[in-house]
Amino acid sequence: MFEPKEPQKKLKYEELRIYTDEELNNYTEEELKEFKCKHPIPDVEDLEKGPWPSFVADAKREALHRRKLPDDRLLIGKYVVEDTLGQLQLSFDHGETHWKHGGIVGVFGYGGGVIGRYSDVPEKFPDIAHFHTLRVNQPASKFYDTEYLRTLCDLWEFRGSGMFNFHGSTGDIIFLGTTTEQLEPVFYELTHVLQQDLGGSGSNLRTPSCCVGKARCEWSCIDTQDMCYELTHYYQDELHRPAFPYKFKFKFDGCPNCCVASIARADMSFIGTWKDDIRIDQEAVQAYINGEIPPNGGAFKGRDWGKFDIYKEVINLCPTKCMWMEDGKLMIDNKECTRCMHCINVMPQALRPGKDTGVSILFGAKAPILEGAQMSVLTIPFMKCEPPYDNIKEIVEKTWDWWMEEGKNRERLGELIQRYGLPKFLEVLELPPMPQIVKEPRSNPYIFWKEEDVPGGWQRDIKDYRSRHKR
Amino acid sequence: MEEIKKAILEFAEKTGKTKFYFKDMEKAVHKVMPDVKARMIKKAATELINEGKLIYFSTGSTTMYGLKGRGQTEDH
Ligand code: HEM
Ligand code: HEM
Ligand code: SF4
Ligand code: SF4
Repeated sequence: MFEPKEPQKKLKYEELRIYTDEELNNYTEEELKEFKCKHPIPDVEDLEKGPWPSFVADAKREALHRRKLPDDRLLIGKYVVEDTLGQLQLSFDHGETHWKHGGIVGVFGYGGGVIGRYSDVPEKFPDIAHFHTLRVNQPASKFYDTEYLRTLCDLWEFRGSGMFNFHGSTGDIIFLGTTTEQLEPVFYELTHVLQQDLGGSGSNLRTPSCCVGKARCEWSCIDTQDMCYELTHYYQDELHRPAFPYKFKFKFDGCPNCCVASIARADMSFIGTWKDDIRIDQEAVQAYINGEIPPNGGAFKGRDWGKFDIYKEVINLCPTKCMWMEDGKLMIDNKECTRCMHCINVMPQALRPGKDTGVSILFGAKAPILEGAQMSVLTIPFMKCEPPYDNIKEIVEKTWDWWMEEGKNRERLGELIQRYGLPKFLEVLELPPMPQIVKEPRSNPYIFWKEEDVPGGWQRDIKDYRSRHKR
Repeated sequence: MEEIKKAILEFAEKTGKTKFYFKDMEKAVHKVMPDVKARMIKKAATELINEGKLIYFSTGSTTMYGLKGRGQTEDH
């Protein structure tokens, strides 16, 4: 059973709200059509064209809304949004950014969570002279209620730009733009009133994030929310006080469908899996074959794909070709199955992951900065995964100790592993190579002979050898 | 602990740079005290931050440390 680490209170928007309903709904759609940004922004407005929703359209709504709020209802500049758009236009004109890079702002005791940003043309855009970003640790799986969201919105309207990202690609909520004076008050409100912490930024553990997991998904092999919450709390020091060579990300996926894309985005990717056999309900398999249950949960119902064909849509697409039909029954050679989830995704009522569940741990994904983009590499095929996750913490700490020792400044874990090779990394983790981690010989060569593994070492009697082998 | 803090401050004052990486600080401490664990150096640095002697500098992606009062100020 999940136990929160501190008593949870229920937030009531009515008690925390800053703005009245009239203030929140203070413009008409007519006024929005007439709205002209304080600065001419032709190229920025161009981004509103096309089929996709545009941040420019959203920003204009916010700009109009702020214009119509009384001055004393805003603690930072009224034109912060318009100045942001204006400076973006100027950057388009010049082909250069006008944000200065970095700064020493933060909240007391934290080395991450606040990113200092300053305009380098403050005389043109005074309301964004300071435009600091805050990273806010999102709740597990990004579950909110509207009372909470409204409270956040009021807080940020009052003390910041009113602009957010829900969510940054790391997963956290991003509060875009405020002044240095507002950082501590925002931090106080978040932590003392809203029970929400800042997330990570800089050379530290970044805000961990997880898929919806067992809360909503029957495929989840591990309790991603619990694990994310536990490790977030356990590694508070690493999250808030940066001393790593560079950033480090944890992500938790409940199954290999990888909804938070941990495999592509985390230095340490946790992916739920199972060790026993896929559970098969043969009657439901027949129902799929007979067209009684729509495949893929009905996701492709509108398409003209004809009658469901179990060979075309499942068996022939199995990447390891470990499925077949025998006497009208679906068979799986489970020891060949790579747990790709394809068959389960197509026939969720007939097939389910096994019951002996745990986690696969992969290391080293990153976006291109020093080296090119990289996916995480499967290193621990299966590990039990239960609170308080001591076995997992042990692996985490061995990894950090090595990376902090050997990693160069701004070198991600994946690059360090590449530099030293996978066998070295296994030694660090004190794990033997396992067949599941070898994709094919030579593309990820974990296994090298060492002198102590070879009888007689590297020395040999050359005369004895030559007596049998001519030159 | 106090000794580590002293070594850090000496390094911070001596280095010509306004900001430096954790690793630079770690190397400097290791010159004086080779056996100190990185974790301890981090603890000492955190204390110096809390005492207002060191500051963090962050670009958003990378964090560095600096001596309070040298180089950039908060308004910039
Ligand atoms: C509507 C406008 C913007 C959008 C949609 C946007 C979106 C994003 C996203 C998705 C990320 C990645 C976050 C993550 O990895 O979790 C990010 C990072 C960041 N953004 Fe923005 N952003 C916007 C405006 C700005 C502005 C105006 C600034 C600076 C004044 C800014 C500064 C940053 C910084 C410093 C980072 C972190 C970069 C790093 O990790 O190296 N953003 N932004
Ligand atoms: C049934 C017999 C054989 C099979 C199935 C076989 C298979 C292979 C395979 C799969 C590789 C690639 C290995 C890798 O990429 O790691 C390879 C490489 C090689 N094989 Fe064979 N081989 C056979 C016989 C031989 C024989 C008899 C010789 C020499 C007379 C030979 C010489 C080589 C060489 C020089 C390489 C390249 C080694 C390297 O890249 O370091 N092979 N072989
Ligand atoms: S990763 Fe798997 S368990 Fe998590 S939400 Fe996606 S399908 Fe469900
Ligand atoms: S999960 Fe993937 S590999 Fe395993 S049987 Fe199904 S389709 Fe094949």
